[in-house]
Amino acid sequence: MTNLQLLALLPFMVLATAAVVVILLIAFKQSHTVIQVTGFFMMCAVVLAMWFVRDTLPREVPPLLVVDGLAALFTGLIIFSVLVVGLLSYIYFEEREENPKEYYILLFLATLGAAVLTISRHFISFFIGLELLSVSLYALIAYLRNRNNAIEAGVKYLMLAALTSAFLLFGMALIYMETGSMEFTAIGNAITKSGTSVLFLMGIGLIVVAIGFKLALVPFHLWAADVYQGAPAPVTAFIATVSKIGVFAVFVRFAQAIHLHENALAVTVLTVIAIACMIAGNVLALMQQNIKRLLAYSSIAHFGYLLVAFLSGDAGVGAGVFYLLAYSITLLSAFGIITLLSTRRKDADELSGYRGLFWRNPLMAAIFTVALLSLAGIPLTAGFPAKFFILTVGVQQHMWLLAVVLVLTSVIGLYYYLRIISTLFASPPLSPAKEKSLHPLFYAATYTSLVVLMFLLAWLGIFPGFIIDNVQEFLVIR
Amino acid sequence: MLIEKYIYLAIALFCIGIVGVLARRNAIIIFMCIELMLNAVNLLLVAFSKMHHAAAVAKGATAGIEGQLFVFFIMVVAAAEVSVGLAIIVMMYRNTHSVDVNFLNRLKH
Repeated sequence: MTNLQLLALLPFMVLATAAVVVILLIAFKQSHTVIQVTGFFMMCAVVLAMWFVRDTLPREVPPLLVVDGLAALFTGLIIFSVLVVGLLSYIYFEEREENPKEYYILLFLATLGAAVLTISRHFISFFIGLELLSVSLYALIAYLRNRNNAIEAGVKYLMLAALTSAFLLFGMALIYMETGSMEFTAIGNAITKSGTSVLFLMGIGLIVVAIGFKLALVPFHLWAADVYQGAPAPVTAFIATVSKIGVFAVFVRFAQAIHLHENALAVTVLTVIAIACMIAGNVLALMQQNIKRLLAYSSIAHFGYLLVAFLSGDAGVGAGVFYLLAYSITLLSAFGIITLLSTRRKDADELSGYRGLFWRNPLMAAIFTVALLSLAGIPLTAGFPAKFFILTVGVQQHMWLLAVVLVLTSVIGLYYYLRIISTLFASPPLSPAKEKSLHPLFYAATYTSLVVLMFLLAWLGIFPGFIIDNVQEFLVIR
Repeated sequence: MLIEKYIYLAIALFCIGIVGVLARRNAIIIFMCIELMLNAVNLLLVAFSKMHHAAAVAKGATAGIEGQLFVFFIMVVAAAEVSVGLAIIVMMYRNTHSVDVNFLNRLKH
């Protein structure tokens, strides 16, 4: 391994160090605040390291890893999301749990797993990254062990994730048998030479099952609503953003390497999955009274939209990245509001609890409203240009059926997002506001970051050109 | 030895695992069945690795040990998964005094 290769991996090493640093801080009995602040600065150090190594890209680290523009984009998205999730975690765990410190080890390890997924180009690094992510997630979901629902969500996720990783491995073994290699590009070369066999297609199918589970695509979405509801609010935000971004990144890289878009059967199956996601996600969300479950179904629908960009092949990658950026900012601000409103005993997930929020706390209601409008894809918020770009590439690739379903289901989606917004502005019930006992500085920090997210949403909605140009510039680095 | 026989054995083990996961309600037995599925994959990988290695040696090249390497990674990861998983199952037992997954129905639909 040369110096330049080591240098290209610097951000990932800093990320791995972050988890070790937190372990050491706990060993020296530091307080939650110290750990939180150190974790924040470590994540900033990862961003700095990424800025520092930008000129050495793209760099292959054979046989396992490749650091290129695509990896840099997705890793940046992941680190950005973790910064916000970390901030939300402080006020959430400080008042709930006597031992909130080990949470940060798990959080950084899961982040490392997602980041490794973005740079992997080999089945071994794919598997290791995925398991690093999911084993940490089992513990994160069940972290508040005194609440029954957290354990239930944890066991459900554990059983299904372990089952799907067995499917993933079986698929990898079948592909290995057919091609004699585990490297994505070598697999691509082998199948262009010899064509695809039945066992190879079975292998691809099993891998798609595993990826579909992680992304909560229909029909592998059954865990999503329960886990979103049972997990602590910041962890739900983590599952909805970081874990899905990492898995989507490796899916994009794998599909590009093995030319998945030229295989008619795979394209048909993915098209059916995309349509099922858009319809099922939006229809199931219609009657939901629980905000966390509603966001789970809405994220199923959003990944249906994202699959439209995915199916467009190389042209759709830029639109997909922009969509993921808009989606992460939106979901993080929505979960930020849920975190702020949660009490010691339970998360604020009942829709009735949001009745008249505007009259109690106008700022929170404003942030939540902008986030919901962005999820619905209303102009002047980030959700609109994101959906517009996806629709554009879809139409350019003549995927009329997907484009029509996308537009129609977006209209259905509008209904339940607007229903929440109308609840926010309804007349409030006569309940006294709950007093919180934490240091106001952390509330100020959380509010500030949420307001920044809200302005980011508006900025992306009005001037998307700047970001999309930068994304395209990064995607050329390969 | 024909490679098909290994494939049939691995698929049989894998299917026994799937049936176990779907049919049994005891969390620990479900976990054992998942381990069975992982070990079916290990068997398959070692067999394929041997096959590719033999083919490469016949051509005078060296290749085909990736599969055997992967098996070690799978074993390590499976051990990590079991330790976290059993910890969660113990917490479940403390809360519900049972390891029956049918008790897990409090999250509403």
